[in-house]
Amino acid sequence: MDWRRLADIVRIRIRALLRRTASDAEARDEIAFHLAMHTQANIRNGMTPSEAEHEARRLLGSPTRIVEDLHDLKALPFVDALWQDLRHALRILKKSPGFAAAAVLTLALGIGANTAIFSILNAVILRPLEYPRAAQLMKIVTVFPGTGDFWVSAPEYLEFKHWTHAFSSVGAYVPFEANLAAQDRPRRVRAMFASGDLFRTLGVNAELGRGWFGADEERPGSARVTILSHELWQSAFGGDHNIVGKTVDVDGVRRTVVGVMPPRFDIADLRAQLWQPLVILPNANRGSHNLSLIGRLANGVTLDGARAETENLLVNWRSMAFDATTLAAGPTPENSLHSPDNKNHRIGIYPLQGRVVGNAVTTVWVLQGAVVLVLLIACANLSTLLLSRAETRRKEFAVRSALGAARGRLLGQAMIEGCVLSTIGAAVGIGVAVAGLRAMLAAYPDVLPRSAGVSIDVTVLVFTALVALSTGVVFGIAPLVHVSGDLNGPLKDSGARAGSGRHSVRRGLVAAEIALAVTLVVGAGLLLRTVNNLSRVDAGFNRANLVTFGVSLPNAPYPNIPDRHTFHQRLTQQLAATPGVLSVALVYGLPPSREIDSNTVTIEGFEGRENGSWNTIDYFQAASAGYVETMGIPVLQGRAFTPSDVAQPVALVNQTMARSIWPGQSPIGRRLRQCCNPAAPWTTIVGVVGDVKQGGVDKTIGTELYFSADRIAPNTMNVVMRTTLTSAALAPAIQRIVHALDATLPVIKLQAMDEVFDDAIARPRLIAQLLIIFATLALVLAAIGTYGVLSYMVSERRREIGIRMTLGATRTAVMRMVVTQGLRTTLVGLVAGIAMTLALDQVLSTLLFGVTPTDPLTLASVVGLIATIAAAACAVPGHAATRLNPIIALREE
Amino acid sequence: MSKPADLMQGTLDLLLLKILAIEPQHGWAIGQRLKQLSDNDLQVSDGSLYPALHKLEVSGWIKAEWKNSELGRRAKYYELTRAGRRRLDEETTHWRRVSAAITLVLQLREV
Repeated sequence: MDWRRLADIVRIRIRALLRRTASDAEARDEIAFHLAMHTQANIRNGMTPSEAEHEARRLLGSPTRIVEDLHDLKALPFVDALWQDLRHALRILKKSPGFAAAAVLTLALGIGANTAIFSILNAVILRPLEYPRAAQLMKIVTVFPGTGDFWVSAPEYLEFKHWTHAFSSVGAYVPFEANLAAQDRPRRVRAMFASGDLFRTLGVNAELGRGWFGADEERPGSARVTILSHELWQSAFGGDHNIVGKTVDVDGVRRTVVGVMPPRFDIADLRAQLWQPLVILPNANRGSHNLSLIGRLANGVTLDGARAETENLLVNWRSMAFDATTLAAGPTPENSLHSPDNKNHRIGIYPLQGRVVGNAVTTVWVLQGAVVLVLLIACANLSTLLLSRAETRRKEFAVRSALGAARGRLLGQAMIEGCVLSTIGAAVGIGVAVAGLRAMLAAYPDVLPRSAGVSIDVTVLVFTALVALSTGVVFGIAPLVHVSGDLNGPLKDSGARAGSGRHSVRRGLVAAEIALAVTLVVGAGLLLRTVNNLSRVDAGFNRANLVTFGVSLPNAPYPNIPDRHTFHQRLTQQLAATPGVLSVALVYGLPPSREIDSNTVTIEGFEGRENGSWNTIDYFQAASAGYVETMGIPVLQGRAFTPSDVAQPVALVNQTMARSIWPGQSPIGRRLRQCCNPAAPWTTIVGVVGDVKQGGVDKTIGTELYFSADRIAPNTMNVVMRTTLTSAALAPAIQRIVHALDATLPVIKLQAMDEVFDDAIARPRLIAQLLIIFATLALVLAAIGTYGVLSYMVSERRREIGIRMTLGATRTAVMRMVVTQGLRTTLVGLVAGIAMTLALDQVLSTLLFGVTPTDPLTLASVVGLIATIAAAACAVPGHAATRLNPIIALREE
Repeated sequence: MSKPADLMQGTLDLLLLKILAIEPQHGWAIGQRLKQLSDNDLQVSDGSLYPALHKLEVSGWIKAEWKNSELGRRAKYYELTRAGRRRLDEETTHWRRVSAAITLVLQLREV
């Protein structure tokens, strides 16, 4: 079929459909012209004008009929009926704007919430990662008993890459942060050491220049190069198109930009802003697990296939990894155990997407479930509203039915009305979703992985359309199915007699609303308690009036410990001299949440657990003299660090470490040293300090070993200050002091310690806030539903109430009657809701902290809250009933 | 022949297309032309002429335009589209084949 013909056809059909009046008028003109011509011809043939016209009409037939036929020829009858219904629906809604507005608002909130959360679900879970053939990408980790996923050491990476056939390529990376001296000011950027083949593994090319590092760039002391992210290129370098080949200053080193990655390119949700070559030393330590690995399965290889191959590798790994001479010399305890095997040092392979999203999956699904409940409540609410309207429209339906409207057509009409409402609701709802998402992402930018990709795309719009349509059909039809049982009834009597069956349906809907609302409110209550518990966790130190920021000294300008120590000393002294600052100290890993750096040490006289002579310490800490005092951490045994600890290597341990390694004994005076290096000096333990949270406020505390920061002066340190001022008030002084000491250093994350804690519990706070919004919505809707249904019952039973009052029923008795009826429905809803909540406790429990899903306090508060709201919602119509004037009520009919 | 022959299904379409192939016309003139050309042997009732024309229009074979007629009154003139021209050729070929076949059958000698 050629296009022009198709266009003609479509134009004519659409015109007939949408502009029926014009199209019909044209047809009438055409027929009138025909009649005029025919009449004229007849007159020429000798007829009288009236005969002539009569004859012409006789031969043509009814013009009206012809015009109808011509219309039917062009319009599709089904679409035509739909169009009529649509206009009818709009007319009906225009007649009751209050109802229409309430319905649209309810639906806009319900559908809007669903659209917003689904767009998160879509971006975080459903959408594949933004790489070509992303399903082939796997995260490769080491697995030790009890630690779960762990990093991979450099020798293991090289061995695996060399031996595997299941993967076409394997790339490695190490995330870090760096000081970038951009044009305007020094800034702290998220960075990543990336192996040359990482980008090829991911299959992404650069936007400018090249997106890979050459083998020569991975050698120590090789060309200094870097690749920028699109976003950093834009924000720090103004999108300079000639950036490739220019140099930038990263951590005090001039590096040549070789490429810019495309917008939103990301690896493992680390949001790195620049990449540098990962340099692997030939004699890298087998025990130092610091690499993250991403591999791409070779074409045709399945995950199971890759895992099977890895199982085989694990069996022989040790003998393949150590050459004959090493083995002949007898395996030393250290190196033999630092090789993967099939028992205690396994290799795990998992789809990358699952590892990137992690446990956010539960969060997102719980939120999606919550908004579905809200939408169900909205549907139930609208059904009761439409049901009430259907009662009043029974006569309309009955008349139309008597006049010959097919029942199917009436059903269609109801569906159309529902869909018109839900479509308008969806349109407004998309606006609600956009605004809500924007606010949420602004307040919680990093809480959910991949959240930068959250958008209302085609998938989301299709979802919203489907939700809107099914919502419209369901709540549109429900009342009619019910009413249509007896379409002739309303014509026989006055139509005011209400069957009890209709009431039970309406009460059922309200009970369902209450049940769903209970589930949501319990969920919100539990999360609220979780957040409350988390924010009151004793982190082991006094968090009030603490201000903190980070400062990172690059190796190039500060190569030696004395350089860094001098800087730290001067920084500490100048900050301490600032008015309002009570004390200042430095710490490497800022509580309450930092990355675990589990590693092994050799402990003098400690034979260790059953499988080896080494021991693993979870957290290696470095703290300056005065840190323990500034933070308010209790010293339990021995002493804290003093400025004189620069000379001798001394250490502190936390209580957990003291208990696990020297149960019942004092660790003071014990010695330990770096694992597997007999040349390393011994460090003496001089004190035991109280446990401080390290891995997050909700995590159990691990073993922690403190070294003296004055002695080792790590490059990156956090400053903690006990102060009487806010972080904002201190900011100018801090900026000035740091800038005066070294203008190239950025002040990193200047925050009050309270804000650090807020960030640490951001995800549960987000869930709690969203659930509270959804639960409030559910409560309001359920209250409106209860109120509406009871009001309607009261108005329907005016006559009965009037008779009761005439016969002597007191106002109290009438009130009691109405309220009892309402509360009975509420009770059914409450019981059903609690039962539903208990059934869902498995899902919820992973999101909770310090509270169980069956927490009696929460359940009791929710029951109390809902009962109170229900009582209020019942009391208003109850009160209206008592105001009824029996005489008027009885006279009405 | 006492009564004009009823037109076979589809034949009317072919005739209308042919008439419009000669020149654009309005409905009344098409009906008259049909009568004239066939010496009154082929007639189409006024009531079925317009549905037939509109069907051709909806199928995209012909298109219509309102123009001033010889009477000075505006009339709806139909003309062939390019697709309609092709259609006419196809239908003509088809008709020739069918009528030849029918003629062949009718020429059979009865024994």
